[in-house]
Amino acid sequence: MKIAVAGKGGAGKTTISGTVARALARSGRAVTALDADVNPMLGISLGLGIDGTERLAGIRQELSDGEGDAVHEHTIDGLIERFGEDAPDGVRVVVASRVDMPDHGCLCCGVSADRLLREIEGTGRTVLGDLEAGVGVLSRMEVGSLDVVLVVVNPTPKSIEVARRAAETAAAREIRVLVVANRIAGEEDLEAIEAVLGAHEVVVVPEDPVIARADAQGVAPIDLDESAPGVRAIVAIGDRLAAEAALQTA
Amino acid sequence: MTPASAVRRPPLWPVDMPLEPRPGGRLWLAVAGKGGAGKSVISGTLARVLARRGHRVLAIDSDPMPGMAQSLGIPEPDTPPLLMQAAEKPETGPWRLKRGIGPVAVTRRYTTCAPDGVRLLQLGKADKDGLAPVNGSVSAFLQTVRRMHEAPSLYDWAIVGDLPAGPRQPAAGFSPYARLYVVVVEPTSQSALTGRRVARIARGPLGADVLFVASKTTGSGDRRLVERLLGERVDLDVPADPAVRQAERGLGAVIDAAPHAPVVHAVQRLADIIEARTLEAA
Repeated sequence: MKIAVAGKGGAGKTTISGTVARALARSGRAVTALDADVNPMLGISLGLGIDGTERLAGIRQELSDGEGDAVHEHTIDGLIERFGEDAPDGVRVVVASRVDMPDHGCLCCGVSADRLLREIEGTGRTVLGDLEAGVGVLSRMEVGSLDVVLVVVNPTPKSIEVARRAAETAAAREIRVLVVANRIAGEEDLEAIEAVLGAHEVVVVPEDPVIARADAQGVAPIDLDESAPGVRAIVAIGDRLAAEAALQTA
Repeated sequence: MTPASAVRRPPLWPVDMPLEPRPGGRLWLAVAGKGGAGKSVISGTLARVLARRGHRVLAIDSDPMPGMAQSLGIPEPDTPPLLMQAAEKPETGPWRLKRGIGPVAVTRRYTTCAPDGVRLLQLGKADKDGLAPVNGSVSAFLQTVRRMHEAPSLYDWAIVGDLPAGPRQPAAGFSPYARLYVVVVEPTSQSALTGRRVARIARGPLGADVLFVASKTTGSGDRRLVERLLGERVDLDVPADPAVRQAERGLGAVIDAAPHAPVVHAVQRLADIIEARTLEAA
């Protein structure tokens, strides 16, 4: 099963991605977490810490370094196996590309996040891609290259507008949309989101100070307090996707 | 799969980027940071504040998602953007700026008017086909911003850029005009890590100056947290302010809806700092 997480910057994509990936792994799935953002942060919400996240190299940069061994990797899955790192609960995390290094490689050719996400097979594995803000990567996907897109949205007009575009982009590619209404503090917040995105299934993640504290400290919310209401809501999304993935492979 | 031997080692930097340091004294800046940090609100309000102080202001919105127009106080202009009209596609070859059009003509003819005399230049917005429908505009945009330093009649303009989230655009040469990066950081680890990365690129290959803003702070503890996560001194706090969300819901600019809101006062102080630094550099 292939899942992508999209939305406006700051909506909580990475927090949702990391926590869903951990929940999938705890439910017994073999998980590959692909950080498809050139500003990779997924390591933090998976529980690798700020320094551990900074140490993750991008596949593209590793290839550009031309160490040679990569020549023998003929498949995307081989690359991911080679360049991935282990995160808690056995999640395998890979960073597609990062642009903040002195030699970040060309941004328009080589192994791109788009290509990794499109071509990864991950036989028997559940693949979760944390996308860059906006709709860029989604717009370059083809019909059937993803099973489901989690569109993360906050109750603000800009976030809702980006989510609307992301949902439209996914629907145009026949990809199922699950709207994750994040940081919901009341009925009014949810109504604002459902007014625009109500045609899709909407799941609610309540505003939760534990998640804010985890982000301030640079730790995984699921490690800080897995019983917090916001964390529980995200874990429930992971559990549900794990059940669907199990059905799919059965 | 392309074997690594066929992946040509790319140049360290796009070859058409001006790398030579341009003379100081020009108020050309870009606002960058993580998504949701408040870049559009700060950049849009800053453009208006500078214009009210007598600067001629060019606001540059290179975010493929909506944002800056609202903070400037105008509705999101139609798509495709005006700049599309400055582009042409020859029978062979890629989109380009039409002959005879340069940064000055673009500023004069292909920008939208906003209050206080601000001109808004837009890259174009993505839709369900991404940026593909506005490829012409994107090419014209890149050619324009990369030639801006060759246009002396723009030297006395203030340029305020609003960049999309993260370090991608500065690294890819979408903001070579910026002599100063205003890096906006919320008191979170993700926001601080993004701030560090943007600053690394700005100070390194881009040779620009960096100013850090702690955004959405709710007390002095937040500023200290940002400084600790960044490992850098913060130049200014922009407090969390409900006026921002109220203005967004009313689909207006915060500077019009709540001219005395704390966030507007903070941006006025930001303008003070930027003017002082620019004077120093001159």
